[in-house]
Order: sequence, then C-alpha cells, then structure tokens
Amino acid sequence: MIKKEKLQEYAKKLMFDMKDEEYETLAKEFEIITKKMDIIGEIDNLDQIQPMTFPFPLENVSLREDVASNTINIEDIKVNAKELENDQVKIPKVVE
Amino acid sequence: MQYLNLTIDDIRKALDNKEVTSDELFNEAIKKANYYQKDYNSFVTILDNYEKVESNSILNGVCYALKDNISTKKILTTASSNILKDYVPVYDATVYKKLKESGAVLVGKTVMDELAMGGSGTTGHTGIVRNPWDITRQIGGSSAGSAAAVALGIVPFAIGSDTGDSIRKPASYSGVVGFKPTYGRISRYGLFPFASSLDHLGCFTRCVKDAAYVIDVIKGHDDKDMTSLNDDNKEYSKSLDNDIKGRKLFYIKEALECDDNNSELKEIINNFKQTIEKCRSIGFEVDEISIDNKLLEALYPTYMVISCAEATSNNANLTGISFGPRPLEKNVNDLIFKARTTGFSELIKRRFILGSYILQKENQEKLFLNACRVRRLIVDTINKLFDKYDGYIMPSMSSIAVKFDEKENQVSNKNFAIEHLLLIANFGGMPSISFPCGIVNNMPISINMTSGAKNDELLLNMAYKVEEVLGYKGINRGDDNV
Amino acid sequence: MYKAVIGLEVHVELKTASKNFSTAVNGNSQTHNSNISEIDLGYPGILPTVNKEAVKKSLKVALALNCKIPEYLIFDRKNYFYPDLPKGYQITQLHHPIGTDGYLMINTKDTVKKVLIHDTHLEEDTANIEHLSNYSLIDYNRAGIPLLETVTEPCLNSSDEAIAFLEALRSLFLYCSVADARSDLGQIRCDVNVSLMRENDKELGTRVEMKGVNSFAAVKSAIECEIRRQTEILDRGGEVLQETRRYDEVADETYLMRSKVDAIDYKYYIEPNIPPIKIEKEFIEAVKKEIPLLQYERINNYTNNYNLTKVEALTLVKEKELSDYFDEMVKVGIEPKIACNWLAGFILGYLNKNYLSIIDIKITPKMLKDLIELLDGGKISIKQMKEVLTKALKENKDPNILIKELNISQITDDEEIKNIVNEVLDENLNLVSDYKAGKRVFDFIIGQIMKKTKGRVNPAMTSKILKEELEKR
Repeated sequence: MIKKEKLQEYAKKLMFDMKDEEYETLAKEFEIITKKMDIIGEIDNLDQIQPMTFPFPLENVSLREDVASNTINIEDIKVNAKELENDQVKIPKVVE
Repeated sequence: MQYLNLTIDDIRKALDNKEVTSDELFNEAIKKANYYQKDYNSFVTILDNYEKVESNSILNGVCYALKDNISTKKILTTASSNILKDYVPVYDATVYKKLKESGAVLVGKTVMDELAMGGSGTTGHTGIVRNPWDITRQIGGSSAGSAAAVALGIVPFAIGSDTGDSIRKPASYSGVVGFKPTYGRISRYGLFPFASSLDHLGCFTRCVKDAAYVIDVIKGHDDKDMTSLNDDNKEYSKSLDNDIKGRKLFYIKEALECDDNNSELKEIINNFKQTIEKCRSIGFEVDEISIDNKLLEALYPTYMVISCAEATSNNANLTGISFGPRPLEKNVNDLIFKARTTGFSELIKRRFILGSYILQKENQEKLFLNACRVRRLIVDTINKLFDKYDGYIMPSMSSIAVKFDEKENQVSNKNFAIEHLLLIANFGGMPSISFPCGIVNNMPISINMTSGAKNDELLLNMAYKVEEVLGYKGINRGDDNV
Repeated sequence: MYKAVIGLEVHVELKTASKNFSTAVNGNSQTHNSNISEIDLGYPGILPTVNKEAVKKSLKVALALNCKIPEYLIFDRKNYFYPDLPKGYQITQLHHPIGTDGYLMINTKDTVKKVLIHDTHLEEDTANIEHLSNYSLIDYNRAGIPLLETVTEPCLNSSDEAIAFLEALRSLFLYCSVADARSDLGQIRCDVNVSLMRENDKELGTRVEMKGVNSFAAVKSAIECEIRRQTEILDRGGEVLQETRRYDEVADETYLMRSKVDAIDYKYYIEPNIPPIKIEKEFIEAVKKEIPLLQYERINNYTNNYNLTKVEALTLVKEKELSDYFDEMVKVGIEPKIACNWLAGFILGYLNKNYLSIIDIKITPKMLKDLIELLDGGKISIKQMKEVLTKALKENKDPNILIKELNISQITDDEEIKNIVNEVLDENLNLVSDYKAGKRVFDFIIGQIMKKTKGRVNPAMTSKILKEELEKR
C-alpha cells in the first residue's frame, strides 16, 4: 500500500494537508483505483491509439480577432479581494 | 391555483391570458423555495427580486434555478465549497446571460456536490440535499439542488452541469427529465470547471418538450468558448413530433446481465424490457448488441482518471489570493496552504491528490494517456454503432435512489454498473437524456437515451415519442399544498 | 581549460492590441490593474480565446528562424502555484511548439555562426508582483500578455556569442515588427544555462540554469560569473551540481535557488479549452510574405553586391528602417557607396546627435537623389549640399525646395551669367577701361559678380564668360 508520507508529499505540492485518517482512506482508495487502472492496461494494442482529449474533432474553430477591450476594472477586483493598496492586491510576503 | 408545477406551455398560456403575472409566479416560487428549504435544502441562495425584461421568448416570466457553479454577476456563487463561500462573481456566464435576455426569472442558486465532484448531493458546504420522494434517500448529484427544485415543483426548469452523470443521475433519482445536449452546444463560459473536456451544461424539466424549449434558448455558438459549436439554426421544440417510424435503437446486452439476487435491479430490468416493447410498438426498431466487457469495466476508471486529472488543474486558481478566504498568515505560501486546507473537504482533496498523481511525469503515460486512449476506444466503438443506429436506450441507473450512506462518496469496488454507461455520453460529447419510465418501490426509475454528437434534435424527437408511450410524463412528488 | 556550452531561453512580449487569451488591452499602463479582464484574474469559469495576431506574430518569428511549423496549433497547461499565476497554470506550448528545429545565422566579432533553435513557443505572461519588505502587491496588467519563448540548443560557447545571438534575435523581432523588445521595460527576459566541458569531452557537462536575467549586459556578466564559479569547482576536482541559480547583478554572484531534487513537476497536459486549430498552408504563405530580409542577409548583400565594408554594412542594418532607407536610396539610383556615405556618415550623425530616428525625418531618398544630382552636375557645391541638408533635417523640409527658397542653387545658364556679367560691367565702366589698360582687375570684377549674386554663379563658367565679354568691349 502506498505510504502516508508519499501521499502527504503530494498533498503539500497541491498546497494543502489532510488529517491522518483521511490519508488512510486515501491510501485504500489508491489501492482500489490502481487495481481499476490495471483494467485499462489490460486492453490490447493501446499504444497504437491516439489519446483522446476532446469529445470529437471540432471543426471551423476560429482564432479571436485582435480587438482590445477591458472587461472589468479595479472596482470589480475590490468585490472579492480582501485587501488592496494603491490599487494593487495586497498579499503577505512572497517567499521562494 | 399553483402554476410552477405545470409545464412551460401551460405557464406560458397562463401568463399570456393574464391569469397570473410574472410577479405572482416569482412570489409563488420564492414561497415554495423557502417552504421546502429546511427539509430538502435545494438552494444556497434564494433571491428576493428580479428584473423584468422585454422579450418574445417562451421563457419570459418563467421561473428557474441555476446550479451554484454558474457565474452570476453580483450574486453569490459558491460551487457549494467553503473555499468559495463568499465569492461574488463580477461577470455573467453565457448561459445566464441568455436566460436573462429571454426574460426567464432566476429564483435562486442551487446546492450541489462540492465543486461538482460527487454524485450524492451530500457534500455541499451548506448541507445535504434530500430526495423529494423519500426524505431518507439521496437525490444524487452533483446537480442535486437543481433536480430537487424541479421535482418539488418550485420551478418548471433548472440548469445543471454534467461531467459524468451529474444531471442525468439526480434526474433519474427524482423522477424528472435531465438532458445534456452535445458538447459545445451550450457555451461553458462561466461554468466553474470540473473536467473541461467532459463538462456539459444541461437542464432539468418535467417533460421532454420543456427541455427542448429551454435548450432552444440557451444553445448557440459563443465567441468566448472556443469549444462551442457553430449554430445549427434549429428549434428543437418544433420537431418533437416528427415521425420516428423505422428509427433504430440499440441496447447493450452485457449491461443487463445482473445477478439474480438483486430484486430491485430485476424489476428495473423487467421494466426496461417492457419499455423496449413499447418503443417497438410505436415504430422503433430495437436491437440487442454486444460490447466487450473489458470496455464496459474500463468506463469508470477511465472517467476517474481523466476527470480527477483535469479537476486538479482546473481548481488550482482557488488559492485565496484575489478571491476566496484570506486567512491571516505571515507569508503567502502559508496563506494559500491554509486557504486550501480549510477550504476543501476531504473528498475533494482525495480527488485532487489522485488527479495530480495521474498527471505526474512518471505516471502520465501509463495512467492519464492510457485513459485517454481507452476513451477513444469506447467512443469509437459507440460511434461506429451510431453509423447504423439513431441512438441507444438503457436504464439510467441500476437502482432507485439510495439511502444516505457515507460510503457512497468513496470509490466503489464494483467493476461495472448500468449507470457507468452514462459516462459514454461525456466521453464522446453526445446528447443524452434521462426521463421517468416507471415506479419501483415507490421511487421513480428512469430510462436513458443517447444519440451521436450533434444529433440533439433527433434525440429529443425520439425521447418525446418514447415519453409519450411510457405514460410517466410529469410524475410529481411535490407537495402541492404549499 | 574548459569549453563553455551555453543555451538561452528568451522570452519576449509580443506587440498586440489585446492579450493572448483575453480581450484586455496589452499595454504599458501606469495605472495599476487597469488593463484587465476576468480571464486575466483567473476567476472561476473563465475560458481562454486565442489571439489571432499573437499566433500570426509567433508564426512570423518561427518562419524567420527557419523553424518547422506543426500541422496544428495546440496549447498545453503548465501547472504550478505562484501568486503571480492567477489560474494556477500557465497556458503554453510544450508538445507542439509553433516552431521547432530552426536556426539563426549571426555575425560574431570575426566570423559567422549558425545558432540552432530548439523551438519557439507561444505562452502568456504572469502578473507583476512588487515585493516590499513585509508584504507584496499584485498588478494584473501584465497577466496574459502574449509571450514568445525562443529556446536555443546548447550551442553557444562564450558570453560574446550569447550577446551576439541576443542582439540578432532582438533585431529579428524588430525587423519583423512583432515586439518592441525593450529590456528596460521587461519586454525581453532571459533564462541562461551554462555548463563546462573539457576540450576532449564527448558529453556535455552538468548544466546550471539561471532564471530571469533581465538585461543583455546582465546575461553577459552572469555567464562569465557562472563560468568562473564552475571552473573553480572543476579545478578543485569538485562536481558541478545540476541546479537553478539566481544571478545577483550588484554582487556579480550567483546564488542557489533550488537543486535538482526540488525540481518542479509541471504536470503538463493539453489545454482542454482550446481545440487544435489547423495551421493552413495559405496562412503560413501569407505570413512568410510579410517577413523582410533580416540583418544577416542584408549584410551579405551590402558587402557582396554593393562592396560596402562590414563596418558600413553593420551600421546600416542596425535598424531596419535605416537599412530600408538605404535600400530605397539605391533603388532610386544613388550609387551604393555614395548612398552609404551620405546616410551612414552625414544623416545618421545628425540623427544620433539629436536622438532622432530615420523614421522621424521627411527627406525622402528621391529628394536625396535630386540633391546628389545637383552636386554631381556642379550646380551646388559640397559645402552648399551639407548646409542645405542640415537645414532640411532641422526644419524637416524638402532640401530641393529649400535650395530655391534660399536661392542657393548655382546659376549655370550661359545667358543668365552673360546678363549678370554685362550688368556688372555696365555699372563699372571704369573697371572695363582699367582692364583694357592692362590693369589686374579681373579677379576684382569676379568678386563684384559673386557679391551681386551672393556667390550663386558657377565660378568656372563666370570666369570664361567674363573674359569673352571683356574682349567684346
């Protein structure tokens, strides 16, 4: 079974943490999922198939003409941003 | 006299004949919404006013509800997640804009499974949604509140989204019509994404005709959504009565091979066999076809892999930086960490970790890309059948609405169930509709019909005819004495 | 001794009206958060739409870099968390860049070099973060501006070569008018990777990457600094570690940012909201037609066909507009060497002194041609030409009109000179008698004629006609 530490490492990269028992549930889930994924792997000649990333080929897709218009303004940002300074969104110190 | 449990045609007539005003309708809807809220919890937000609009649309003055993952300017939109519990959008989703322009009257935003990731209606941050037919049962999700609002007769239609079965499952569990048209038929601009390549918008109504009316209003090309289709310049509601004689349907033999001990499933399958006979009686040709079990068993894992992978990335904007919760922290990483740790429920986090694992460099080929390959295999298999057939017909679900059971939200051990077939329409962007076909153990059951991509008009036409012959149109468990 | 192997990743902001995936203005606003759309803020539910002009400009660069163009335009997501990345992912092109396997010919100090281009791809810029001591401020104006990233193969061998490449690439952007590429405005930024190998080594050494170096001068010193650091390590018998470092311009030192084990897995996958778009042959051909001759080709043309020196050619091609002007001069019939002398010598001197560019002046190559013809025909003197040209540049006027206005053209008409000569002689009959008497007054009479005409008469002709007219009397 996949180790809790590994799962926690994944979680941290996604910028959150979970409770211990939640990791246990997840570990069990990983077990089931990995087994299910094996079902996928058992299908023949998969490597000869192009992965499908859109439900069907979309035709006549056109690029956007380069015409500029701003659709929101600083007042809109203020609706949800908690803190602003000099019309910029204020956040705690950025660390590497 | 109540109007909101009527069909759109009848409501239109009442409005046009001045039997009722749109103000009165709105008040009726609000009253009902509030009345049912405590028991069923359909809404995150119930509105207290609306703006009148000049329009010739059939929906002008007709009340409706929107799932709470559809962006509505100045109206709280939470996706039923703590991380968005205070989020007020600054722009309108295209689907909302179209409904506004038609004069349809928004009553409220409906509860859903958190971020649309779940199928139970139990994971929203404001509590569980209950089934109008039996309060001890789930309504299914993720568009739980939208289904409940229609089933309860609060509104004649509601908008939902469907990534795996999120419209059709709750529709089936609550005895209403659930329809998702072809991928790209309705613009996704403003729909909070779960898995972009599988996400569809659609509607809940109490009859097929109403679904056609609603889609006629909200479909159409949108310059803001590059995946949106060109206009087909059709009015689906006008061709519902087209002759279906000689139309060919198929059903999948393997899906019906159930274990004999399950009497409920047996009843559902018996009902299905009768349904097939009724279809034949009005001129459909219905064939039994066979599909490789391996493909059927691969449906659910394929869905899990693709949807979790896309979801991880799609929700990476939820950090608490320019919107969302802003816990007080010394540095920005701690802020993001805390916002996400407290903002997402456990289920969501598990899905995200799974999704991110799937996309990792060392796993992507084996997990993500292989799932995308199986997706193509499945879609190609079905599309090949659509060369010969106009659609397929299957029971929507293998059971009636399930009782509340916490295990529901964990990955199930079963390799295949009938409801997994609903995923096919998401994989292939096919129009797919579920509607009531009977009652089992005092609960509604439902049939699903799916056609080839872009054949929305034909699918609605066929569904309308089947609905007619089945005789379960507009079954309603709503308490009519509010 | 070690051989340095350098690779560059150059990001340049493309010059378009709107952003890459939203309609918000792509501009350099002084007002914070003024050029924005809901898409740039990454609000839930937004979808990208691809800017046609950004694609066109990227394609132009890809073609100018002799790259292979993919059949379809496809974008990928690069997933990572940083407060300047509103969506939590950047839309970029990993698997199908708009251009791959190209090259750029560059002139280094004493030779030419073919710099191999791994790829060039279209992506979006991030928001701007102002880092203050205890907190930071975000401005989203920059978020979503189209960014073209050009990646070289590790094929440069010195800081000078790297700079020569960067100058050539910047010139390509300017020649193709796809970007302003001003490093002072952060419109062009580099990631630099450096590794060292011994002369006989077959394999590349361990590469060290330096991110976000802002000016070309900094690129040069960063490379030299890193070469020094790695040389020291290798000389000590140590091992260079694969890592990402930051170059500090003030201290002239590089610092460790993260080592290989901390490398981020960006979990790239195809952007699901942008369907693959076929890049039509006609589109490619149309864009190809818009690509002008680039520096390298022009230099060859000037030195091989026009017999200019390399220094002269380099001066002319520094700016496309100047080179275009020169080409036009040649086209209207001015001899290349003469054209170069006037343009690179005289006009450019004036422009540089006055902080002007060739596009600021109204004097056309045709006007210059007429002027040079006057000079060649002896109708104006070289001194007059320079005077008129200076005045024309100063006042932004047609020099040929100025000549008329100022009456500074030479009088070269026989009859006209004859009339003037006789006029002067009639006014000074005493001088005529003096001349006849053998007095040496000839030059004095010339002086009087010059005075009367403000020196506009052609001296040689005047001298001849005066002699004739005096004989007649």
